[in-house]
Amino acid sequence: MLEASGLTKSFGAKPALDHFSFKVERGEIYGLLGHNGAGKSTTLGIILGMVMPDGGDVTIGGVSVLKDRSQALCKVGAIFEAPAFYDYLSGWENLRILMGYSGGFDPSAARETVERVGLTKRIQSKVRTYSHGMRQRLALAQSLLPEPEVLLLDEPTDGLDPEGIKWFRDFILQLRRERGMTVLFNSHLLGEVELMCDRVAILRDGKRVFEGAIGGLHDDAPLFDVEFDPWDGALALVHAAGGELITPGRIRLPEGADPAVLVESLVRSGIRVRALAPVRRSLEDLYMEIHHGATPSD
Amino acid sequence: MLFLQQLRGELRKLFARPRTWMGYGAFFLMEALILFVYKREGSQRHMRGLMERNGLEFGTYYSSLTITFTIMLVSMFLLGSIYFALVAGDIVAKENEDGNLRMVFARPVSRLRLLLVKYAAVALYTFSFVIFVGISGYLMAVLAVGREGGLFVLEPRMKVFAAYPDWWEGAWRLALSAVGIGVSMITLSSLAFMFSCFRIKPAAATIITLTILFVDMILQGFPFFKPYESCFITWRMSAWVFFMETHLSWPKLVESYAFLIGLDVSLFTLGWAVFQTRDFKT
Repeated sequence: MLEASGLTKSFGAKPALDHFSFKVERGEIYGLLGHNGAGKSTTLGIILGMVMPDGGDVTIGGVSVLKDRSQALCKVGAIFEAPAFYDYLSGWENLRILMGYSGGFDPSAARETVERVGLTKRIQSKVRTYSHGMRQRLALAQSLLPEPEVLLLDEPTDGLDPEGIKWFRDFILQLRRERGMTVLFNSHLLGEVELMCDRVAILRDGKRVFEGAIGGLHDDAPLFDVEFDPWDGALALVHAAGGELITPGRIRLPEGADPAVLVESLVRSGIRVRALAPVRRSLEDLYMEIHHGATPSD
Repeated sequence: MLFLQQLRGELRKLFARPRTWMGYGAFFLMEALILFVYKREGSQRHMRGLMERNGLEFGTYYSSLTITFTIMLVSMFLLGSIYFALVAGDIVAKENEDGNLRMVFARPVSRLRLLLVKYAAVALYTFSFVIFVGISGYLMAVLAVGREGGLFVLEPRMKVFAAYPDWWEGAWRLALSAVGIGVSMITLSSLAFMFSCFRIKPAAATIITLTILFVDMILQGFPFFKPYESCFITWRMSAWVFFMETHLSWPKLVESYAFLIGLDVSLFTLGWAVFQTRDFKT
């Protein structure tokens, strides 16, 4: 549904993207992660035709954004972090103006969408009186009005309270269930990405350093948080069991290895096992490993 | 049809901002002040002298039409230009600065289309503002001195002198010249619009435009630039006064307006060319 191939972009001498490719299937939620300046926003800018790439192309539904932007974007909705509306106009007028650039404004469809995002009571108020959460709801409404098949979300939950974040997540997941919507989700909130996305790509300095399914994160070799006394002797036994030390206090055992066997050998060697707890590897763990070669506890 | 819907949206945005109305308020106040002074004994004495030296009867030409002409002649370049440059300088640059353009760019609209809509809105604002000044100036003058009387025209810089004792003839010429000023002032807005498309702050677009306008006016005033006066933008923009000449010189008018419209198209194209190559990061 959405495919980027070989995206390359530099701003002056600074490379922002380096041959970045990815593909999002219809109905998939794809996360884009990376530090500030990693190239996430540049990628989104290229998809929307706001940024001209030095190389590569993006197709949406098979239509090239570079060759036919208007056609490619006719079924795309986008939400940005801190969406900038015309503050001096009402939410309704904002929708009317923005939809004027998306093939026309349909008041009944707008009413329905506004009701769905829970903004009916305040839609006639000036946007300058809206809270951040209400602005995000209006942003959601404007992105849904063109009945998009692809939704681009750029840090949409930044600044929202926990309730707002949950509401937003549930809403997007419901959209995917109901309409089979394809979503590209760009966020710093790793927990949110893990809860929402099917697959993720991690960018570092414009290059893709990881791509994989969220479900696959947990299929790797098991991790354990451990506390042994003394450490030195214990480490030799961990290695003997085929395991490795990931960070101080965290080990990885080979897939299928029974931790009880390791505990038994440790106890027999007179090493005290104060703790051995299985750890579910999170997206944050993966992200930190990729970016820093360490977990946050490091 | 869709273009009109988009244009309506742009005009709605334009007229929803207090800044847009500042110009209307300023002109309204200025017109009131001009009328107040115009009614004073000293001013009347000066006008009487001017008319009588040219063999015209003061009672016939001391009229609402003459006052309206004077208001438009004196004020449009000096005061109107500020508001046209302000509004046109903001129309793209301010939206970029505020982040509104990102929301529009997420829509399936081309950059050319977007600029055409915005340019049309600026041109309409400029034209309607001039017409507003003409109509409001005339109505206020009617309240002050009555409807009757002819039109006296004296513009030494453009060498235009005319007198229309008949109200209808004077009103028609005044209406024609108001349309002429409206079209002329669009060139100033085009200049500000072009800068607004550049990667600069909205205030910079306004200031650069006004600087160019005033430098153009100052240079035109130098005696040794006299042979080249027709090359100046402000001289061409003053061509509306030729609509007041007793015998309309269409070649002169067509030449000046072709110059201005050609300049408008060039400025828009240059602005679009720069805008087209710009990156707008989210």
